[in-house]
Amino acid sequence: MRIGIDVGGTHTDAVLLDASTVLSSNKTLTTADVTSGIVNAIKKLLEDSGLEDSHGIDAVMIGTTQFTNAVVERRELCPVAAIRLALPSGKGCPPLTGWPGDIADAVGRHVYTCHGGFLYDGNTLAKVKLEELDKVIADIQQRQIQCVAISSAFSTMDATPEKMMKARLQKALPHVRVTLSHEMGSLGLLERENAAILNAALLPFADRVVSAFQQALQKLGLRCPMFISQNDGTLMNTDFVKRFPALTFASGPTNSLRGAYKLTGIENALVVDIGGTTSDIGVLQNGFPRESGQVVDIGGVRTNFRMPDVRAVGLGGGSIVSADGKQIGPQSCGHKLVTEARVFGGNTLTTTDIAVAAGFVAIGPHAHSLALPDSLVQQALNTMKALLDRNIDMMKPNAKPVPVILVGGGAILVNGDLASASETVRPEYAGVANAIGAAIAQVGGEAESLMSYRSLGREPALEQVKSLAIKHACNAGACPDSIRILDIEETEVPYMDGEVTRVRVKVVGELNALSGSREVTA
Amino acid sequence: MILNTIGVEDMDALSLGSVFLATGGGGDPYLPMLLTKQALETFGPVRLIQVDDLDDDANIVALGAVGAPTVSLELLPSIDEASETLTAFETHTQKAVDVVASFEVGGGNSLLPIMAAAGRGLPVVDGDGMGRALPEAQMMTYAIAGAKPTPAVARDYAGNTASFNTSDTATYERHIRAFAMSAGGMITAAEHPMTGAFIKQAIIPGSLSFAIQLGRLLMEKRGPVEQIVEPLQALFSGSVYGRCELLFTGKVVDKSTRITGGYDVGSAIIEDFDNIHAPLNIAIKNEYLLATQNDKVLASVPDLIVVVDYDTSEPINAERLKFGQRVGVLAVGCPAFYRTEAALKVVSPRAFGFDIDYVPLD
Repeated sequence: MRIGIDVGGTHTDAVLLDASTVLSSNKTLTTADVTSGIVNAIKKLLEDSGLEDSHGIDAVMIGTTQFTNAVVERRELCPVAAIRLALPSGKGCPPLTGWPGDIADAVGRHVYTCHGGFLYDGNTLAKVKLEELDKVIADIQQRQIQCVAISSAFSTMDATPEKMMKARLQKALPHVRVTLSHEMGSLGLLERENAAILNAALLPFADRVVSAFQQALQKLGLRCPMFISQNDGTLMNTDFVKRFPALTFASGPTNSLRGAYKLTGIENALVVDIGGTTSDIGVLQNGFPRESGQVVDIGGVRTNFRMPDVRAVGLGGGSIVSADGKQIGPQSCGHKLVTEARVFGGNTLTTTDIAVAAGFVAIGPHAHSLALPDSLVQQALNTMKALLDRNIDMMKPNAKPVPVILVGGGAILVNGDLASASETVRPEYAGVANAIGAAIAQVGGEAESLMSYRSLGREPALEQVKSLAIKHACNAGACPDSIRILDIEETEVPYMDGEVTRVRVKVVGELNALSGSREVTA
Repeated sequence: MILNTIGVEDMDALSLGSVFLATGGGGDPYLPMLLTKQALETFGPVRLIQVDDLDDDANIVALGAVGAPTVSLELLPSIDEASETLTAFETHTQKAVDVVASFEVGGGNSLLPIMAAAGRGLPVVDGDGMGRALPEAQMMTYAIAGAKPTPAVARDYAGNTASFNTSDTATYERHIRAFAMSAGGMITAAEHPMTGAFIKQAIIPGSLSFAIQLGRLLMEKRGPVEQIVEPLQALFSGSVYGRCELLFTGKVVDKSTRITGGYDVGSAIIEDFDNIHAPLNIAIKNEYLLATQNDKVLASVPDLIVVVDYDTSEPINAERLKFGQRVGVLAVGCPAFYRTEAALKVVSPRAFGFDIDYVPLD
């Protein structure tokens, strides 16, 4: 058995799974002290399922927004020394360029640029100058900075300068903690470096979060391993989280997509997660979320994290409906739905009122006395479906019809089939799809590089990137024998000869700790 | 509206206007924009000279980046590389440069001359060599009007320079690309030296201040394309471009491109929302080059074909165009310069390998 928990901004969802059977589930408000909320959710799960004790639990999987929130709210961030080895390129755009002032202040503006790095063709960009590095190390020591982010040009192809700087730094200052940019992200020095700096700034907080979680589990008598969800829908063990907390960014939408897959077994589909204010539309490809190719902004900082490609539409259970039913949202009652909606005795016409009047569901003390003209109800239902259809259409990978899976508390708004879908699927437990998504047992790894097929040959070049991705998966806790290639992306680089290709490989494997137990097959 | 200077406050508008005029090509101007802002903050605004106000004997050189934009993701630009390229050019030619000119108003290349001029305290001429983005040196107005590309100087990220003296533009293009590839993939070049008298009949005039005005309009009137088309038409009608038409609105139902011979080549198909009209087909070769409906040409290069987001009217780069997007397709007349026989020889659809004559937008 395993427990999945998804800590969202508003709700904490929890589920207890035995293989693919849901034994119990619950939804509570997220508490300011996240850990106590988790403890209560787990206690309730165990009580509801009637389990005598917690010995049968093999693992606890947690998806949390704490690290994203820390960045967005500029809390819990520690000072970071940001070192880049890429001079003489990039003069005038040192680390932290383009950062909002308040977050640059929060990480302390300790910026260093040195010579080093590589070019696209493997030639040296500039030789590393040891005296430069030693000056930086002396300054870090003098400023007593504990966390360091190191980046170098084309380090996704050759990370020697980053590793060398780390070794030299830790030899002089053994207690200093280091994030290397090539471990964090893909092509795009500035964005990858930003990711490394954010990660380094979260390291001490990650220690505190992980130990708080571990203590909570101990208190509950749970001796099983604990894992945390990553932004690509895979898991990290606690050691890995302590090194790469930033990889938890945006795991919420990912978990709901993975949960929809788990609940239906449909590998290729669109998933519409309807909440109180928005419907988040995402795409499942081979059981994993389709990722966005856009630059991802975290708290105002440009990064190249791979985030799920999610389109948010202003339609949820609290969305406000116009008097003629032709306009819905994006304004929403949000939390106040339970006082302002007509079915709860309020004066605001919401989508929930429409669903009640249409007879899809009976909620609220005034559900039976609610009288709305049929024409209004029909018009509003049409408007909602048209809004969803239009946006679903924009997310489809091509013109072929695809199934649409409806999850989230607001899924009750939609009755019958959506015109844009080949079939409309409403799985049981759709309300806690997030938590189910968190309770997966797979670990991923990825790697990306620019490769010259002319000098290396295509196969050896692909092998190189593959083995790097596999190494990453093993470090995150995957069982080496179980690793399979999920995706290989090859993109030729324009304006370049030599068959230079951008290669990206994604792999996935089973959790090492659970290799004896069966993966939940949906 | 004529601007006399370009300052920090114009940079966002210039970037956005340039992306519009880049007709799908040109790349992301994010980093060059940050660096140019910084240069302008450090050295103050740059003087903008109108083409007519240039001294006939002024020594003018065009400046921009050459290479593979993807490389700049790792090999970051430097704030001094544009101004130092200019200095290296002066050292090579042993003659001071009076005014800096721009290759194209598209992507980072609309910003580099400003960065160079700021660092050196020189003015920039209000105009460019394309009025849009195009992929090769021989397509520039300077080359078409007969300017020789050399003497030219190119500088890499580390300050290594190469000078070029070539017999013709095609040879220059080949040699400078080879230098770019062996020097890290991206270089800055000062080329096509011209006099004031010459450039007056060899430049698209007013395009820098126009791009700024265009960017401002796109920011202020951000909204559905049907609402923005009238103010756009008013702006374009008073410029070197003249016409601006909303060709089509609809949804992208197919988009496929692949790299062929260094170009991103392919097409996009757009269906109208109500399925009344035949779909629009757009041919892509880095830029949007042809818009056809039932094999009838609605717009063709060198006229500008611009794809914008239907709801915000924000221009969409060809790399970013994808299935499902709701878009508006605009066509803008090219400046008169490109309608001459000499220009059409190098920029008509035939010059890009299409078996179609240029059909002017009218």
